[in-house]
Amino acid sequence: MTIWEKMQKVDRRILYAILVVCVCVGLFFPTTIPTDPDPSSKSFYAEVMKLEKGSTVIIQTDWTNSTRGESMGHFENLMRLMMHGDHKFVFYSAADPAAPQVARTVLARIVAERKGQGLREYKVGEDYIDLGFFPNAEATNTTMGSNLRSVWANRKSKTPTGGEVDVWQTPVLKDVKNIGDVDMMIVVTASASIDVAIQRLAQKVPITAMVTGVTGPGVLPFYQSGQVKGLAIGLKGVYDVEYMMVNGINDVEVEGKKVVEWDKVGKVDRVNEGTTFSRGRAYYGTLHVALVLLILAVVMGNVAMFASRRRKGDAV
Amino acid sequence: MFNWLQGEQYLDTAPVGIFVTLLVVVFILVNISRAKKGSEGLFIRRISGLNAIDDAIGRATEMGRPVLMVPGIGALDAISVQAVNIFAQVTKSAAQFSTPVRLCCGNAAVYAFAQEVIRDVYSQQGMGDRFTPETVQYISEQQFAFAAGVSGIIHREKVAATFLLGAFYAESLIFAETSNAIGAIQVAGSTQVTQTPFFIAACDYVLIGDEFYAASAYLTREPVLVGSLVGQDWAKILVASTVLFGTVFQSVELTGMTTEHRAGNAMVSVAESSNGERTEERKKKTDTMTNRLFNPFIPEELTKIEREKKETAPATEGEGE
Amino acid sequence: MNLMQYMLAQQAIEETFWRKAPGQGLILWVVIGLALGTGLCFLLSTVPTNLRKKVIFTFTFLAGLPYVLAFLWPRPISADFTNDVPRNTGEQIGFFINQAVEPVGTLTNILGGFLLGVGIFSLVRVHSIRIKRKQENWGYSLVLLSSFAIMTVVGFWDWRLRAFVDQTGALNVRDNWQPVNYAQDLLFEGIYQQMDSAMFSMIAFFILSAAYRAFRIRSVEATVMMASALILMLNLMGALTYAWGEGINNLVVQTGNPFLMNFKLNVFADWLRSTMQIPAIRAIDFGVGLGALAMGLRLWLGLEKGGVTA
Repeated sequence: MTIWEKMQKVDRRILYAILVVCVCVGLFFPTTIPTDPDPSSKSFYAEVMKLEKGSTVIIQTDWTNSTRGESMGHFENLMRLMMHGDHKFVFYSAADPAAPQVARTVLARIVAERKGQGLREYKVGEDYIDLGFFPNAEATNTTMGSNLRSVWANRKSKTPTGGEVDVWQTPVLKDVKNIGDVDMMIVVTASASIDVAIQRLAQKVPITAMVTGVTGPGVLPFYQSGQVKGLAIGLKGVYDVEYMMVNGINDVEVEGKKVVEWDKVGKVDRVNEGTTFSRGRAYYGTLHVALVLLILAVVMGNVAMFASRRRKGDAV
Repeated sequence: MFNWLQGEQYLDTAPVGIFVTLLVVVFILVNISRAKKGSEGLFIRRISGLNAIDDAIGRATEMGRPVLMVPGIGALDAISVQAVNIFAQVTKSAAQFSTPVRLCCGNAAVYAFAQEVIRDVYSQQGMGDRFTPETVQYISEQQFAFAAGVSGIIHREKVAATFLLGAFYAESLIFAETSNAIGAIQVAGSTQVTQTPFFIAACDYVLIGDEFYAASAYLTREPVLVGSLVGQDWAKILVASTVLFGTVFQSVELTGMTTEHRAGNAMVSVAESSNGERTEERKKKTDTMTNRLFNPFIPEELTKIEREKKETAPATEGEGE
Repeated sequence: MNLMQYMLAQQAIEETFWRKAPGQGLILWVVIGLALGTGLCFLLSTVPTNLRKKVIFTFTFLAGLPYVLAFLWPRPISADFTNDVPRNTGEQIGFFINQAVEPVGTLTNILGGFLLGVGIFSLVRVHSIRIKRKQENWGYSLVLLSSFAIMTVVGFWDWRLRAFVDQTGALNVRDNWQPVNYAQDLLFEGIYQQMDSAMFSMIAFFILSAAYRAFRIRSVEATVMMASALILMLNLMGALTYAWGEGINNLVVQTGNPFLMNFKLNVFADWLRSTMQIPAIRAIDFGVGLGALAMGLRLWLGLEKGGVTA
C-alpha cells in the first residue's frame, strides 16, 4: 500500500485527535480578527440599534445547553444591546422547557457584569419580564398575533422587592395592548421554531433573529423576502455583532477610516459602554483553525485520490 | 354587509392564501379519483434511493445482520406516518428473506403506531412469531439520548443497512457517520432542508425534499397514492407559474411611474413627501398590483374591534390601572 | 399544599361548551373519566378487524375537523375566545370552532402521556429480557435500567419537596438544599446536561470525517459542489475575507475597474447564497409543504391505504 492509498483510508480517530488538539489550542488565544460582517448581520445590528431608547421588545429564546457554543454568544450580545438601549423586554420559550432557565442564567450574569462596571442594573418586573415556557409554539404564536393579552393572561412576574405582580401591570407591558404595540420581536433559536414565528407574526411586528449555523440557511429565504429584517447566523454572526458593537457601521474611526462600511444605511453608532468583545472573540480564532483543518482534509483527500489513481494508471 | 366575514386568517394571507390551498386540495382529490379509474398511464420517474432497498436487504441477508430503520424524532404527524409506511414496505421485503429488522423510535406515539404496523406486516406474511420486542423499540424522547441509544445499537448489532427517513435534526450526521464507520449501506431522506446536505455527504442514497412523500407511491403503485402525487405535481406547476408570472408582471410594473407610494396601510403622495419638488416617481416594490395581491390593505377598524366582556369573566388583567 | 390543591390550582378557570370546570367534585370526575376511558379502550380492542378501519377513520376525521374549520372559517378579529361575547352569528360560529381547537390539543397531549407509558414499558421489557438471559452486552442494559430508576426517584422526590413541602421558597437558595436536591442537581446539571452537550459537539468530528470522504472531485457536479462549499467556508474566516477584500480594493484603485469588486470573497459568497442556495431551498420547501398537505389530506379523509392495513 502506497502512502497515498494509506492517506485515503486514514483512520478517522487520527483526524479526530488532530481536531481536538487544534481546537483546544485556539481557545487559549482570543484574538481580534479584522472582518467584513455579513450583510444579514449588518442589517440585524442596524435594526436593533435603530430602535428608539426605551423601546419594548419581545424575545423568544429557543436554545438550550447543547448549542451554547453559538447561541449563548448570541444571547449575551442581545442582552448587552438591550441594556445599552434601555429597552424593556419580555422573554419566553416556545420550543424547549429547559430554554428559559438557560436564558435566565445568562441574563443574571450580564446584569451582574454591568453592575460591576458601574452601569445601571436591570431589574426584573421593571425592565424585563421572565414569562417562562409555553408548550405548543404553533398555538402560542398564533394567539400572540390575534390576542397578546389572552396568551399571557394569569402570568406573574417577580418584582425588584421580591413580591409578585401580574405581568400586565408591570412598566414593561403596561402600554402594550396587542402585538402591534411592540417595537420588535427577536428570536434566538437553534431549531425550526422560527418558521412558526415568521408564519404567524411577521406581518404584525418586525422580526429579527439570531440562529445557529445549521439553522441559518433555512431562515435565509425569509431574510431575502424581508419577512425577517435582520439575521445573525452562527459563530460568525456572534463575532460580526461584537465587531459592529466596537466599530459601528459607517462610523469614522480616529484615523479617518470606516471599519465597517455598508451603503444600505447611514451611520450606525457603536456601543460605547460595558463589555463589547466577548464570547465571539474568544471562539472566532478557533473557528478559523477548525475551518483550515476542514479545508486541508478536503484537499489532502483529493490529492491522495488523484495520486493513487495516477499510480494505478501507470501500472496498467 | 360582509363585515362579519372579514376574519383574521383572511386578513393575514389575503383570500389568495385560502383560495390557493383549496385549489391544491381540489387538484389532489380530482387526480386521486382519476387514478382510481385507471392508473396504468401514470408514470413515476426512477428514484434510485428506493431501488436500492432490495440491494440493501439482500446484503443484510447475506451477512446475516439486521436492517435498522429510524423514522426521525418528530411527533406522530404526516412525516412520521409516511416514514413508517415506507418502513412497512421495507419490512415486507426483509420478512421474505427472514432478515431481522430494528425500528428505533424517539417518540412514544410513533412507537405505538409503528409497533402496530410492523406487527401487522409480519402477521400478513405468516411470520407473526418473528416479531419480537426488539423489532420495534422505544429509545428516548430526548434528542441526544436518542442519538446515543441508536448509535449504540448500530455499533453493537453491526447493522448491514440503515434507513433514515423522517424529520431529522442535529442527530442526522451522528447516525449517518456511525453507520458509515461500520460499513452499512445507507438510504436517507429528511424533510428538514438544512439536514439534507449532511445526508448527501455521508450516505449512499438520499431522498431529497418531496421524494420522501413520493416513496410510498413509488413502492406500492397504489392508485390513491399515485393520483395524489400527480395532484401535487399540478400544484407545483401552479406554484412555478405563479413565480414566473409574478416575476414578469412585477418587473413590467416597476418600469411604470406613480404619483403616490404605499407606506404601511396608507398612501403618501409623492408631491407631499418631496415638498412639491416632484409629482411622480418610479414605482417602488410595494406600489405594484402584484405586491398588493399578497399584501392587502388592512384598515385600522378591521384590526381593532371592541367586544363586550362576558359577565362571569374575570376582569382582563392589566386593564384596571 | 397537598396534591388535591395542586390539581385544583392547575385546572383552567374559563368554561366553554367544550370545557367544564368540575370544581369540588374533581376527584369524582377523575374517577369517572378513568373508568370511561378504560371501558372505551376495552371496547375498542374487541372491535373486529374489518370495523377497525372505520373506527380509526371516524376518530381521525373528528379530531381533524376543528383545525380545518378554524383555518377556513373567518377568524374573529382580536377576540378573546374565552372572555368576550361574540357580536353576531358569524362570530358565534367562529368562537365555537376556535374554542374547540384547544380541547382537541389537550386530548392529544393526554394520549401522548399515556403512550409514553407504553414506550417506557417497551424499553424496560427489552432490557430486562437482555439482563435476565445474560445476552451479549447485558451490562449496558443494567446501567440503563438503574440510571432510569435513580433519575425517576430522585427527580420525583426533589419535585415533591419543592412543590409541596417547601412553602416559603427556601429551596431556591442553595444553602438550604437537602441531600436529595444536591443529588438531583448532580444528575441533571452535572451529568445529563453535560452528556447532552458532548453528544452535540461530536457532530464536529463527524463533519470532519464526512468532509474528508465526501468532497472528492469525482464528477462535474461534485467539483461544483466542492468549489461552492470551499468559497462559503473561506467566507466564514473573517481574517481571510478581510485580507482578500483589501487586496481587491487596492486592485480597483490601481486599475480603476469597479467590476473587480464582484470578486470580493463575501460578495461572491453572498451571490452564491442568494442566487443559488436560497431559491433551491425555497423550491424544496414548496415540494415538502405540498407533500405534507397531500399526506395530511389523505390521512384525514381516510384515503391512505397504508398504516395499519399495509
